[in-house]
Amino acid sequence: MSASRKERDAAAAKLSLEKEQRKLGNLMALPAQLLLVFIVAFPLLMQLYVSTTWWSPLDGVPWYMAYESWNWFANYSDLVQDSRLWGAIWRTLLIVIVCVPAQFLLGLGLATLFVDSFPGKTIFYTLLLMPMMVVPAVVGYMFFLLFQQSGPINDLIGVFAGGPAEINWLNDVNLAMVAVMIAEIWEWTPLMFLILLAGLSGVPEDQMRAARLLGANAWQRFWRIVMPRMKTVIIIALVLRTVESLKVFDTLFIMTVGGPGVATESISLYIYKRTFQDLEWSYVASIGLFVLVALSLLAGLGIWFMVRKSTKPAQVATAQQGGALALQEAK
Amino acid sequence: MAKIEFKGLTKRFGSLTAVDHLNLTIPDKSFVALLGPSGCGKSTTMNMIAGIEEPSDGQILFDGSDIVRVPIDRRGVGYVFQNYAIFTHMSVYDNLAFGLQVRGLPKAQINAKVQQVAELMRLEDRLDWPSGTLSVNEMQKLAIGRSAIVEPSIFLLDEPLSNLDAAFREFMRTELKHIQRQLEQTMVYVTHDQIEAMSLADHIAVMNRGVLQQYGTPADIYSRPANTFVAMFIGSPSMNLIPCQITTEGETELLDVGSAGRIAITDDALRQAARAAPSRDVILGVRPEVLDLVPRAATGLGLQLEVDLLEPIGPRTVVHLRSGDTEILAVKDKRYGTQELEAVTAIPPQAACRLFDRRDGRVLGGA
Repeated sequence: MSASRKERDAAAAKLSLEKEQRKLGNLMALPAQLLLVFIVAFPLLMQLYVSTTWWSPLDGVPWYMAYESWNWFANYSDLVQDSRLWGAIWRTLLIVIVCVPAQFLLGLGLATLFVDSFPGKTIFYTLLLMPMMVVPAVVGYMFFLLFQQSGPINDLIGVFAGGPAEINWLNDVNLAMVAVMIAEIWEWTPLMFLILLAGLSGVPEDQMRAARLLGANAWQRFWRIVMPRMKTVIIIALVLRTVESLKVFDTLFIMTVGGPGVATESISLYIYKRTFQDLEWSYVASIGLFVLVALSLLAGLGIWFMVRKSTKPAQVATAQQGGALALQEAK
Repeated sequence: MAKIEFKGLTKRFGSLTAVDHLNLTIPDKSFVALLGPSGCGKSTTMNMIAGIEEPSDGQILFDGSDIVRVPIDRRGVGYVFQNYAIFTHMSVYDNLAFGLQVRGLPKAQINAKVQQVAELMRLEDRLDWPSGTLSVNEMQKLAIGRSAIVEPSIFLLDEPLSNLDAAFREFMRTELKHIQRQLEQTMVYVTHDQIEAMSLADHIAVMNRGVLQQYGTPADIYSRPANTFVAMFIGSPSMNLIPCQITTEGETELLDVGSAGRIAITDDALRQAARAAPSRDVILGVRPEVLDLVPRAATGLGLQLEVDLLEPIGPRTVVHLRSGDTEILAVKDKRYGTQELEAVTAIPPQAACRLFDRRDGRVLGGA
């Protein structure tokens, strides 16, 4: 009896000690947590607060006094009717829909070429990665020069067309978008290439050989051996580039400043203009929040898709069962 | 069902010659081991059969037709990789079915075939498992089954038993022999383990530094090695190689082993070998198992040696003998006791002896 009581006492002492320790741990983590709240939560809450007022820096009222012009959700109802914003959203999505798949396909093609070794591989490899290293603003400037009416691209087209080409790329409502997309694709294909090459290199060579020896052709090897192993890498690359492309700004700003008119105006560019040209900070705050929520939903969707694809519950169950049986056998 | 022939097969990697003018015929339905130390060119040879490597020179013929230009996926060669190369993202079923699926066979046919092979490999209760969860032993069987299902005419196995635990290796050795008999295919099998090669193969090709040293049955290679390399590589402990000089006394040839004494040659074959020797410096090869140890006698029949130490290895005892610089091993029964025999005479049965040229290590007096 006394022995079991001693044990119980010891257990209780241990429990209280654990409680103590946990308390101390929490206390020590508190400064970091406060800092995190300050860095993340404070700006967000401030943005939410400002977005429900008419506040502007021109008012001469400090931001915390913004409640004086409280308007509930007037900014949000304006936002829904703002055709220029929806135009910017549409154009941004267009850039994503065109550029990300183009970057993906080009990157995948290049990565497939670079899995095997060939003479001069390292030189080509370095050259291919260059665009990614160039500062985006410089990329914009480069393509700004290339696409001038008297620029090299028109000269090149002239050579093939057999006469001087005078395409006004950056001042044409439709062509400006094409020029911008080409610059985007040029800049970010290397990143896709890099990620996909890493994924491709991770496919075991022996398995590829085994598949070949079993009679699988290149197409079958790609779909049955390479793709299943690349799925996660591909999803990561696509999500990364999609989220980045939704924020596209620098190249556009240098090449067209969103022009001609609003023909190449993206969400970021529109927000920039409303902030620094119109100084409508409260309205911009509401757009910012709206985009944040939309992007979060998109990212969440992507992650959900990824998790659902990579772990099928039934498979996990059999895997565990299999492991347990193998263990038994080993014993 | 194919005969494999190599004609002057050569593979160079830069300045390194991995396989050097290999000429060899592997008969249909035989089980052949390519045996040799690491870097002897055995794996390169196998990769050339499969088409993973392209020969620098020479021909590979399957049933008389050159296949060097035939692409890897049309050679009809089954290959079991050393690491098995299981498609770990697929189920066991899909692994087995892969070769048939890529050929576009009807589902019912695939299903029947997979069931049949799974039963042969005793994997029938594992079919819906993710293949990554199999034990190493099961992976081995899966790898063999996956290759066997497409009925290749030639089956290649790269060190198939080296990853297995000792207990399962014994089992798999007999299993492999059964499988080969059931599949009735030409099997070529790469190993560096001479015991594996001896116990499994019908024929063994011993290779060293890209050059074929000897090709023959395990018994032949064991008792009649073609050179000192094969003599050393096969058998554990390996053949005693005793440097000696040929001398003549009247009509008799003698082998002079320095301080260990001289042996008068009485066997005809050995005498012929001694007469064929281009120089007096030769090497006498004798298996430790065949040496007779008797109490010291003053005859010219054996070597006068001192017992250095005894090494009991389960059923047998290895006796280390010495005289001056000459060290000789003898393998005796475990009951062999030499407490009273500090000094012995080792008599090599001359019919089981081989004489090698000391300069190039080749056997003297023909095969």
